[in-house]
Amino acid sequence: MWKSLTKSDNTEIVIALAGQPNCGKSTIFNAVAGFKVNTGNFSGTTVSYAETQVYIGGRTVRLIDLPGTYSISAIDVAERVARDYLLSGQVDVIINVVDASLLSRSLELTLQLMEMNVPMVIALNMIDDAQKKGMEIDIKALTSLTGLEAYPLIAVQGSGVHELFDSALRVSENGFRRVPPVYDRDVEECIARIEARYPSLLRERLKVDTRFVIIRLLEMDEEFERIVAEVDREFLEYVIENRRSLAEVHDWPESGVFASHRHALVLDLFEQVVSVKSRSGMGLSEKIDRFIINPVGGLAATVGVFFLMFAVSFWFGNLIAGLVEAPLESLGVFLMSHTSGYTAMLVSGVYDGFTAGVGIVLPYLVPLLVILSLLEDTGLLPRIAFMADGLLHRFGLHGKSVVPIIMGYGCNVPAIMAARNLEYERDRIITMLMVPFIACSARTVIILALAGKYLGAGYTTLIYLGNIAIALGVSSVLSRLSEDMSPGIIMDVPPLRKPYLHVVMRKVWIRIQEFLLFAWPVIAISSIALAVFSYVGIDEVINRVLSPITTFILDLPSELGITLFLGIFRKELTLIMLNSALNTTDVSTVLSSAQLLVLVVFTVLYIPCVATISTLWKEGGWKVALLSIALNTTIALAVAGSLAFLL
Amino acid sequence: MTLLELKEGDTAVISRVSGGKGISARMAGLGLHAGKKIRVVRAAPFRGPLLIEDISSGARAMIGRGIASHVEILDEKR
Repeated sequence: MWKSLTKSDNTEIVIALAGQPNCGKSTIFNAVAGFKVNTGNFSGTTVSYAETQVYIGGRTVRLIDLPGTYSISAIDVAERVARDYLLSGQVDVIINVVDASLLSRSLELTLQLMEMNVPMVIALNMIDDAQKKGMEIDIKALTSLTGLEAYPLIAVQGSGVHELFDSALRVSENGFRRVPPVYDRDVEECIARIEARYPSLLRERLKVDTRFVIIRLLEMDEEFERIVAEVDREFLEYVIENRRSLAEVHDWPESGVFASHRHALVLDLFEQVVSVKSRSGMGLSEKIDRFIINPVGGLAATVGVFFLMFAVSFWFGNLIAGLVEAPLESLGVFLMSHTSGYTAMLVSGVYDGFTAGVGIVLPYLVPLLVILSLLEDTGLLPRIAFMADGLLHRFGLHGKSVVPIIMGYGCNVPAIMAARNLEYERDRIITMLMVPFIACSARTVIILALAGKYLGAGYTTLIYLGNIAIALGVSSVLSRLSEDMSPGIIMDVPPLRKPYLHVVMRKVWIRIQEFLLFAWPVIAISSIALAVFSYVGIDEVINRVLSPITTFILDLPSELGITLFLGIFRKELTLIMLNSALNTTDVSTVLSSAQLLVLVVFTVLYIPCVATISTLWKEGGWKVALLSIALNTTIALAVAGSLAFLL
Repeated sequence: MTLLELKEGDTAVISRVSGGKGISARMAGLGLHAGKKIRVVRAAPFRGPLLIEDISSGARAMIGRGIASHVEILDEKR
C-alpha cells in the first residue's frame, strides 16, 4: 500500500511540503530548490511530484513537493498518493503550508495531518494577504493549542522561508510535542472503545498511528476499511456499529458525522487564534476581478489570452526562430566541413537533434511557458476556466482544459504540460489525448503553405474547422467511453495576485529543465537514427514499406512515404522535403487538388511529433503516449482515407 | 431548495450537502459546510458553474451545476 519514491540514506532529512491547492507550496519549493529538480509521477498515476536535494544548516535535505490536496480523505488519486507518501515512514518532517488569509479552511487539513502523528511545522504563507483582510493571527496561541511551531512568511518575496526551514530541521532533530486534536466526549469515548479492541495484527500490518486508523475508519475511508477487513472482519463490524450509533446520536449522515466534529474543532481553534479587525477598502486586484468576472470582461480576458498566445507563437516564435537560424546554420556548415563518413553522419544526427530541440525550446516553449506561469500565478487560470467550463463540458472537457487547448495551437508540448493543472486523472488524460489533434504552429504552416496556396481560403478555413470538430469529437467520445464520471467542476478561485518575475522565471526554468532532461535525448536519438537512415539510403525502403498507406489508402504517390515518415520527427520536415521528394518546385503540377487536400488533412492529424510523444510519455506514462499514437494514426487514416475514396 | 435555484447576488445558508461522500468532502475542502453563509457572485455562461463567495472569509469557489444541485440551502434572498 505505501509505495516509496526514492530511498534515502540515514543522514538525509526528508521534508515534505503538504498543503491545499494554491497555498504557495510550490513557490516555497522553488525558492529553496537546488539546481537540479526531479519531477515525476507517482507510479501508475498521472499525479506529479517534484523533489530536490538542498543543503540547509550543514544538513542534506531531500525536499518533496506533494500535490495540493484539500483533505487526506483519499477521495481522488492525488489525495491518496499524498497521504500514502506521508504515511510511508520516510518523511521526517511535514511542512504544512497554509494560506494564512484562508486560515479557517486550511486548518481542516492541518488537523487531519496532525492526526497522522508525524512531526510537523506550519508555514503561514501569504501573511500579507491575511493582514490586508484585517486578520490578526496569534501565532503563540496557535503553537500552544496545536503543539506545532508556526512561522509567518511571504513566499513570493522569500521572506520567512529561512526561519521555516530552520524550525523544520530543529523539529526533525528534537522531535515534537504531540497535541492530538481532542473531540467531544462521546466521540472520544467511541475512539477509546474501539482502541481497546484494536487488533495487534493490524498494528503490525499497518505501521501507522492507531488513533489515525480509527479516525479514518470512522470517516468511512474505503482503503482502510478494505485493509482492516482483510485482517480482522469482526473488528471492522465493531467499528461500523460504533460509527452508526455515533451518527444516530448526532442525527448526521454516517459519512459526515466525524467531519462535522472536526469542523467544529477548526472553528473553535480559528476563533481562539484569529481576531478580525476592519478590512481595508477594495484594492486594485479586486476591481480588476470584478471586471473579469463579468461576461463581457471575462470574454475580453479569454480572447485576450488567446490572441496573446497566438501572437507569441507566430510572431515572437518566428522572430526568435529567425534569429537563431543563421548562427545554427553556420554551425552546421562548420561541422559538415570538418567531418566525413560515419562521423559526419553521427555529427549531423546530433546536430539535427540539437537544432530541433533549440527550435522548440527557444521560440515556443519559453514564451508559452512564461504565459502559462503568469496565468497560474496571477489567478487568471481559474477565471478563464470559469468562463469556458459550460461550453467545454459539452465536449467532455473541463474548464481548465481551455489553456491546454489554446496553447496547443502554439505548440503541443507546453499544452500537454499545462494539463497538469487538471485535478482529476480522467480529465487530465482526456485533455492530454485531445491536444495532439490540435494543429500546432508547425502544422498551421503546412496548412497555409499547401491548402492556403493551392486550394484557397475556403478550403483552408474548412480544414481548420474540421480539425476543431475532430478534436472536440475525440474528447466527447473519450469522455463517454471513460468509466469514471466527471464529478463536475468544483474549485477554489483565489484572489488575483501580482506575479513576481523571479518566481515566474524559476518555474519556467524548472519546466524547461524537465523537457530537456526527458525529451531532448529522445529527439537526439531519433535524429541520429534519421541521419543513419538517410546515410544508408533507406528512403526507397521506407517508401515501399509505407506504400500500402500512401498509394492504397490515401491515393498519393509512393514518393511521399519518406516525407510523411520524416514528419514524425518534426512536422515541418514534411513540407520542407515535399518538393525534393516529388522532384518539382510546384507541387500542384504533380498532385491533384484532391490529393493535396488528403495530404494536408493526413499531415495535420497523424502521429504526434517526437517531442510531443515524449512529453505525453513523461506526463501521462507510456500507455497514454501509445494510445495517443494509435488514436491519431487511426483517425488520420480514417478521415484522410475516406476523403481520398470520396473525392 | 438547492443552490441551483439562487440568482446572481442572492445570499443563503447551506443546510445540507447530499450526493455522497465525494461531493461533501470536496465542498468541505473548500470550507463550504452546513451553516455557512454564502452569496452567488456570478453564474457562468452556457450553463457553466456558479461562482460562490463564503461571506465570512471572502473566499471564492466555483461549483458546477451538477454539484450545486446537491447543495441544499435555506433561502435568505438579499
